[in-house]
Amino acid sequence: MIAAIGLILGVAAGLYLEPTVPLGLQPYLPIAVVAALDAVFGGLRALLDGIFNDKVFVVSFTANVLVAALIVYLGDQLGVGSQLSTGVVVVLGIRIFSNAAAIRRHLFRA
Amino acid sequence: MLLLTNLMEHTLDEGYAEAAARRPAARPARLLGVDLGAVLLGAGLIVVGLLLATAAVQVRQRAPGAARANSQLTGEITRRTAATDRLVRELDALRVSVARSRRDGLRLTASGTAVAEELTRLEAVTGAAAVVGPGLVVRLNDAPDAGARSDGGAVDPRGADQKTDGRVSDRDLQTVVNEVWAAGAEAVAVNGQRLTSLSAIRSAGGAVLVDFRPLRPPYVVLAVGAPDLRRTLADGFGGSYLQVLHNYGIASSITTRARVALPASGGVTLRSAAVPRQRAGS
Repeated sequence: MIAAIGLILGVAAGLYLEPTVPLGLQPYLPIAVVAALDAVFGGLRALLDGIFNDKVFVVSFTANVLVAALIVYLGDQLGVGSQLSTGVVVVLGIRIFSNAAAIRRHLFRA
Repeated sequence: MLLLTNLMEHTLDEGYAEAAARRPAARPARLLGVDLGAVLLGAGLIVVGLLLATAAVQVRQRAPGAARANSQLTGEITRRTAATDRLVRELDALRVSVARSRRDGLRLTASGTAVAEELTRLEAVTGAAAVVGPGLVVRLNDAPDAGARSDGGAVDPRGADQKTDGRVSDRDLQTVVNEVWAAGAEAVAVNGQRLTSLSAIRSAGGAVLVDFRPLRPPYVVLAVGAPDLRRTLADGFGGSYLQVLHNYGIASSITTRARVALPASGGVTLRSAAVPRQRAGS
């Protein structure tokens, strides 16, 4: 219940306030979004598995976003930024997909 | 492979399993009667929602901006091109009026009239002025199968491979143009490019260039000259050269025309000028 309210509140705040992202951080926003989605799907699957833990969720979400942004930043400094962001998106995409598949098995038993 | 297998099999954060194993020992902390973990979760999800919404807003703001910049640039190009065209037309009109004024001014004196006639003759010979008169048309075209692509599309020599059989080369065009001059032509143009004494017919990557402008086949050589120009050309070396080209599949034709119009060369520039010596009494 609190989770749903929080999510709706966050989306509403983002849509109404339209916070401007500093120019230097803009390249990391898409990566941060993918990392956040990965954390959300992981949390959802853990919830269905019955082992959800709010602390683990918040910590994994924060760490995922920061590490993904850090990897891309590091790649930018070394000249392989776009390749590394592709790598991050592939790895996180695979995780999102498998977690979504696990959630589907839980919900539909298929 | 180990890395990929690991990635595929351990998709769930291992922290959840570890926390689940520890859980029975810990008692949930409470803040003002509410589960502290739930507050933490709510705050975390607010951040998640904020992040998603911000990203979506960001993408949507940027897309119309890029489209607007694009259309602005396209409009700018169109506007500038139109302005350039207008200026070129204006330049042509001014050149004509300058030429007329110069002729009118020169005709005031007897010596000036002679100079004006000399000027007209030189302008025709050097390619500085457009020329109209009787002449001939020499048409050259690549062999139908020369460098033909599998899609059967028209051959663009600027992008085609280096297959030169049956292709009109710069040297062929040079020979033909030289023979046209030798046959007595007074002015020559290739595909609308007027040739002057400084014009170059060259090739770059299989494309024939006249004055550094790439041409596309068919190549049309226009020449103004005496009525027997065609006969002189066909009977001389030019005719036999075209016959040789014909053996390579290069189609050519020479036709006489009562009226051929050649444009002025765009590359005529003032290279040297001197003040004429003033005659006594003038």
